[in-house]
Amino acid sequence: MSTALLEVEDLAIRFRAGNGHIHAVDGVSFALGRGETLGIVGESGCGKSVTALSILRLLPKRGADIHRGAIRYDGQDLARLSEREMSRLRGNRLSMIFQEPMTSLNPVLTVGTQIAETVRRHRGASKAQALAHAIDMLTLVRIPDAERRATEYPFQLSGGMRQRVMIALALACQPDILIADEPTTALDVTIQAQILTLIADLQARTGTAVVLITHDLGVVAETCSRVIVMYAGRVVEAAPVSALFANPRHPYTIGLMHALPHLDDAAPDDGTRRRLAEIPGLVPRLVKPIQGCAFAPRCSMATDQCRTETPPLDPVDPVHRVACWQVPR
Amino acid sequence: MAAYLLRRLLAVIPVMVVVAITVFMLLRLAPGDPAAIIAGDEARPEDIIRIRAMLGLNESIVVQFGLWVGRLLQGDLGTSIFSNLPVTTLIAQRLEPTVMLTITTLTIAVVTAIPLGVLAAWQARTIIDRIVMLIAVLGFALPVFVFGYVLIWIFAIDLQWLPVQGYKPLKDGFWSCLESLVLPSTALGLTYMALIARITRASMLEVLDQDYIRTARAKGLSTRRTLLLHALKNAAVPILTVIGIAIALLISGVVITESVFNIPGLGRLTVDAILKRDYPIIQGLIIVFAGVKVLVNLSIDVSYAAFDPRIRY
Repeated sequence: MSTALLEVEDLAIRFRAGNGHIHAVDGVSFALGRGETLGIVGESGCGKSVTALSILRLLPKRGADIHRGAIRYDGQDLARLSEREMSRLRGNRLSMIFQEPMTSLNPVLTVGTQIAETVRRHRGASKAQALAHAIDMLTLVRIPDAERRATEYPFQLSGGMRQRVMIALALACQPDILIADEPTTALDVTIQAQILTLIADLQARTGTAVVLITHDLGVVAETCSRVIVMYAGRVVEAAPVSALFANPRHPYTIGLMHALPHLDDAAPDDGTRRRLAEIPGLVPRLVKPIQGCAFAPRCSMATDQCRTETPPLDPVDPVHRVACWQVPR
Repeated sequence: MAAYLLRRLLAVIPVMVVVAITVFMLLRLAPGDPAAIIAGDEARPEDIIRIRAMLGLNESIVVQFGLWVGRLLQGDLGTSIFSNLPVTTLIAQRLEPTVMLTITTLTIAVVTAIPLGVLAAWQARTIIDRIVMLIAVLGFALPVFVFGYVLIWIFAIDLQWLPVQGYKPLKDGFWSCLESLVLPSTALGLTYMALIARITRASMLEVLDQDYIRTARAKGLSTRRTLLLHALKNAAVPILTVIGIAIALLISGVVITESVFNIPGLGRLTVDAILKRDYPIIQGLIIVFAGVKVLVNLSIDVSYAAFDPRIRY
């Protein structure tokens, strides 16, 4: 993909832990096209949030390092930029919203100030211009009475409102890329839908590309065009959303799909309920690089080859790639 | 806010009543006849009778207390036994050096401690952090009189940059006054600097772990703005609290410093009064100190709201 806006290549991130390292991300590659929405799914600890944070280089300075790979954006490798160069891109060309709207805004500054300071930092606008822009942004994310809300503090807003403020903040400088790390996980289901619709609307209007990190396949199905599935720090499957849902190939993805509840499964007449399918076993610990396929210990189809050789992420058709020895190609 | 202030000011009254009772009882609880205590070991009986009459000790204790409080409310703190001057006059004479010393000490402590604390928290667990904390521990451990004499030896005797001792009043010029306060307030300020720096570091460390600091970084804000606005404003409440404690401690802390540097302030007045058992002065000073502490606490509590909008009165 030569037209990609962002290209992550063979990214590996490790955390120092005790005397050794935890290999949180191990050889992740993906590309993001202009205006595209890419979903990254996986369960807790699979490395999806670490991948997201590493793009903006927001991992803890001490203890975490990108020890292999590249993050290419606009002709430069973000993994190698200085902190100063990086801070010019953050909030400007690359933005991020986080899982916890309750704690992600500064409690002692007004929301207007928090949006305006980003605009001032990157656009060099005057205080009044920046504040006017902040109010426009609050209106854009459909916060009623934006002018008054801009003078309020985060504790005066509800969770859903705060996440809207975060979105306004992230989009204030019209970034090329918005990274949304579980943006709806902490919200009520009704608010979740509103926030997702809002992100999709704004994206259509501004042409911002979105990386949506989630553990919720439902969210992916509703909003993303393409999706990558991560497991134990690696990408195990990458496909357009329609292809992935119609025809999941990796045993882990198939397991995830089976673990989704379906409406027609609900309460038959006799009152019994079918248990949700689960994937047996536990996520492996990442204290040392995993030999072979990371999913092999939990996989019913695993062979000796699976346990010793790491499967490459190979195409099974032009748009669908899977890292599994057992999938015929 | 106004209602809160009024409520807090009203709450000052019972505190001061307790202080007044304690101070009044001070003289009466001491074993023996207060008049005899005041008169000293070599007093003649006539002296004791004279002093007893002067102090109104022939009345019942309730009447004595009533009369005493009545005068107190009119701003009359009594008369010094030795100099025969009103205690209010004596305190007023000694007020300026102590107030000036407190202000300069606090300024030095706060202006150095907060940047050091922020720096240490930002560079936590690095060599810079260790050095700052080492200074803080030393500053806390070093007694004022030791550090004071070291400063005098280096800057006054050896280098002769600053006066050895004494205080030059404000009316003789602002700069000469300030010059006379540099060494004493540095000596005194070191302890408070250490105290405030440690609290600043601890409070900042907690704040720097918060999600909104990550947001500030994700917005591309400069390190300076992230630390000094986003983090420090959130860390302010514990820092303010400890500054309030520092002010309260300072008022009693000046006693030693004023002796070392020979400054004629309230600290010296206190020491002299205790040595001479000049009870009216001691009583007056305790009431003034208690009143100042109560007011300092009140202003610190009110100032929290300026830093944290979630605090409303």
